[in-house]
Amino acid sequence: MKYLVYDTIFIEDSNRPTVTLAYQYFANDAMSAASSRGMPGVRFVPESIVSECSVTKEIEVGVSAVMDDIVAGLTKPLTAEEESPKPKEVEKPSRIIFKGNLEEINRFFYQRGWTDGLPIIPPTEEAVAEMLTGTDLSPDHLVAELEPRLGKATVEKIAINAVMAGALPTYMPLLIVGVKVLSTSPMADVWAVSTGSWIPFWIVNGPIRKDLHINDGFGALSPGEIANATIGRALGLITKNIRGVRKGIEDMGVLGNPGKYSMVIAENEEDSPWEPLHVEHGFKKEDSTISLCFPNSYQQQHSYATDDKGILNTVIYNITPGRMGMLGIILTPVNAKALASRGWTKKDIKKYIMENARAPRDHYAGYYAGGEDKGDPQESVPLFTTRPGQPDPIQIYVVGGWGSWTGLLSGGQGITTEKIELPANWDKLVAKYKNVVPTYAKY
Amino acid sequence: MSNGKLNGQYEVLSPWAEADPVALRGLKAPRLTDLTGKKIGLFCNIKRAAGPILTVIERKLKERFPISEVSWYRGRSFSVSEQDPQNKEKFEEWIKGVDAVILAVGD
Repeated sequence: MKYLVYDTIFIEDSNRPTVTLAYQYFANDAMSAASSRGMPGVRFVPESIVSECSVTKEIEVGVSAVMDDIVAGLTKPLTAEEESPKPKEVEKPSRIIFKGNLEEINRFFYQRGWTDGLPIIPPTEEAVAEMLTGTDLSPDHLVAELEPRLGKATVEKIAINAVMAGALPTYMPLLIVGVKVLSTSPMADVWAVSTGSWIPFWIVNGPIRKDLHINDGFGALSPGEIANATIGRALGLITKNIRGVRKGIEDMGVLGNPGKYSMVIAENEEDSPWEPLHVEHGFKKEDSTISLCFPNSYQQQHSYATDDKGILNTVIYNITPGRMGMLGIILTPVNAKALASRGWTKKDIKKYIMENARAPRDHYAGYYAGGEDKGDPQESVPLFTTRPGQPDPIQIYVVGGWGSWTGLLSGGQGITTEKIELPANWDKLVAKYKNVVPTYAKY
Repeated sequence: MSNGKLNGQYEVLSPWAEADPVALRGLKAPRLTDLTGKKIGLFCNIKRAAGPILTVIERKLKERFPISEVSWYRGRSFSVSEQDPQNKEKFEEWIKGVDAVILAVGD
């Protein structure tokens, strides 16, 4: 929606009157986009046509109901407010925002819409100061201005949100680069707010994985490790509190997604037979990196058989034709080694899947679009097509414990990887927090 | 937690980022007095319903008004702006050639 609104504003600035249709439940989203670009008076016509409607009769009825409004949008003289909108009050938020006990602070933050619903650690001056030991950058250093609100992601604001999430100071270098990725990833501003409830899925590579104890083994995608849990959580809070993404206003995820709490993994580089993701993307093995992509569905499949044919067919037969975009394949070390020992490289695997993953034509959304004859509904057609300049549609991650399961992450377009710069005192910092690991009771 | 436990007092910092105020501007393009004889632009992104919605609008406009012409513009994607450098010139040219624009996203 927002890019349509930006183009609407461009047309108005080009001295042509416009009127823009928006599904009635997306009116707030449209208004937010217009205000963020300084033209709150853009004329929207809310309509009742279901989002992405494919039923001609319903479209006919919906358009008929608003034709008078469409015509009025182009012909009704401008009001004084439309011609000269009243300036908004300039925000001057206090640095110290509240004083209270743990319960009161949590209630206050929750009621402001500043949390993800889980309790937060109070971001006191002392806690934030400790968090800031994780970076050489000054607290007022501006890392990025984040869309859509263009909130200033200063190092201090990142640290405050990191404290709330329960992060450790050693996560700061990664969080700072994560914020940069959010500002530069071509898809971050779209997929984070889309109706498809896409998950920011973070993959960490390089030596920092071990420094931070990011789980790359058994249960890497389950709760239980501070790093996996709070890195994603901190970046989620940053999305709310710095980017200004509000549920049902900018974030139009229809169903939502539990992965939005935190979906962070490290690659199990030591047990992978192949080059790790960041090396595949042009970085050195000794670099530490963070990568971001936006799947919206995660499924797990038990291998049909534990040889190469069984593992690859498990993948091929379980890719959903209805997915939108790329496929991420999470191979356990067991499965990765089973493939590598039989001569398969990552490149071979991707090529094989591209060539062999197919589904009947009527399993694809495109078959149901109106217009020309779509051909034999039972004809087998490829699940993947490549176009020049498009991102690699398949990514492979080696993650997880010693078992024969495969994870499939469906959707999203492209993956962005950035190098993590470490502060000068890194070794001391790592040493300070190295014992913050779970040690289970013996019984 | 309200029975006296965990009652230590904390002063906490705001997580909400500052943002520079956005200068607001009004609509400057004069509205049309009527649609008779006008060339109406229909801006369609690639979402599924956008085209069918605008097709109905085109037909209904032509039924109601002796408009001179309808001109379609198809955006590249719902996730990019037509102001991007590779499309901007084409977009500007199209805008110059119409009297008013109706946009639909299909959301």
